[in-house]
Amino acid sequence: MAVEKNYGNSELENKLRDRYYYTSDSSKDFSDEVRKISGTISHMCYQCGTCTGSCPSAPRSSYRIRVFMRRAVLGLEDEALMDPDLWLCTTCYSCTDRCPRDIAPTDVIMAMRNLAFRKDIGPRNFLKTVQLIYSSGHGVPNNDVNRAAREKLGLPRDPPTTHSYPEFMPGIRKIIDHYGLKEQADKLLSEE
Amino acid sequence: MSENMEHSYAFFLGCIAPNRYPGCEASAIRTSAKVGIELLPLKGGSCCPAPGAFGSIDLNVWYAMAARNLCLAEEMKKDITLICNGCYKSIWEVNHKLKHNDELRDGVNEVLAEIDMEYKGSIDVWHLAELYYDEKICGVKKIADSVTRPLTGTKVAVHYGCHLMKPGKERHFGDTENPMWIDELVEALGAEAVQYRNKMQCCGAGGGVRGYDILHSLDITNEKLINLQEVGADALTEVCPFCQLQYDRGQVEISENFGKVYNLPVLHYNELLGLAQGMTPQELALDLHAIDCKPFLEKIL
Repeated sequence: MAVEKNYGNSELENKLRDRYYYTSDSSKDFSDEVRKISGTISHMCYQCGTCTGSCPSAPRSSYRIRVFMRRAVLGLEDEALMDPDLWLCTTCYSCTDRCPRDIAPTDVIMAMRNLAFRKDIGPRNFLKTVQLIYSSGHGVPNNDVNRAAREKLGLPRDPPTTHSYPEFMPGIRKIIDHYGLKEQADKLLSEE
Repeated sequence: MSENMEHSYAFFLGCIAPNRYPGCEASAIRTSAKVGIELLPLKGGSCCPAPGAFGSIDLNVWYAMAARNLCLAEEMKKDITLICNGCYKSIWEVNHKLKHNDELRDGVNEVLAEIDMEYKGSIDVWHLAELYYDEKICGVKKIADSVTRPLTGTKVAVHYGCHLMKPGKERHFGDTENPMWIDELVEALGAEAVQYRNKMQCCGAGGGVRGYDILHSLDITNEKLINLQEVGADALTEVCPFCQLQYDRGQVEISENFGKVYNLPVLHYNELLGLAQGMTPQELALDLHAIDCKPFLEKIL
């Protein structure tokens, strides 16, 4: 249904407004952004619930992927981004695998998480990974116990990654800085 | 290329294999050599980066960081192979996306130009397990022929993980509801590949959930362990060090938080293959595993 009909009569426009689909807090921009970032036809969801039925997180929490899909369709930005359940998707792609409309609900969640971080909303553990990669190139860096074990196996104490070739680190930092990610992580993690 | 090596690849290590379970790295190199696959160091590789944590913050930086790793292999003129499903998600999928989406590739190359690199789209990415299964590269028979210490009399369950095969419509592994190809690779070692309920369920670690809500994450793992115990598995094998960490260290955390004890040994397929090819537990650094592998080893040594 068209949002704007241009009848030139505000009283009539208000009377005939689609109250169900376009509530005051719905944003079409949000729907469009989710669709664009996710690269999937998120607006085509017909709410069958195959996604929630396939979800390993659903039976042990209030997280419902179908609800997030509805929020994507209706553009309920605040409802989606402020919900802590947004971070309970393990990205297992079972819903995507089974979606009868060939939508990728997992990628819808990823898009919403991206949009949340643009508003500085997001869990700390995600940001800590950024700091670790920025300093060592690895999300899970080496340690001394492991170095000793590697040596016993006949492997170099540090793997032939950025750990052994730190000359690659400035390039990695430049990429991360290009997107301002390290700055954002430092800022958000210094709060509280 | 060394003598007797028919195929060689740039070996992308990722993080957890080299930095937590180095036995996976060591066994991948040695077991592959025995079936004619040479793994060459990919110098300067980084985190793939973690698709859950990194991708959730900004997909664009995930594309660019993964593309940098791809460029390193392009410079070597070698296809990449790797032993982790998370790495597969980043490295294979970003390669695939950049090859087929010019707008995305141009955006990534703009950033890479700042560090004098360019993504060309000149290589392919493979999980080592799929190379083992591929008749043109290795095949199940060659794996079976490489066995010197058959795992006869053991029941081994396979955890396929998520990011290798799913979503099925964007991958090339066939059935994602009840796959059997890794089971075939396990049976090639002489073990019985035991079937269990909800085989394709997630380990619970991904998407940043392990870091965000560890109890939620462990409850998923616990459900898997219940299903594995039900069929009397002697060991669980997988092709993803992050799944391995979740099952292995996760069992300690499950016992601490839920009071449930399983003591189910967890072995990467390369570690399992290493054992079947005669490698010792010491050569696989199995002492670094949180769950003692001894009950399983006693059945085969």
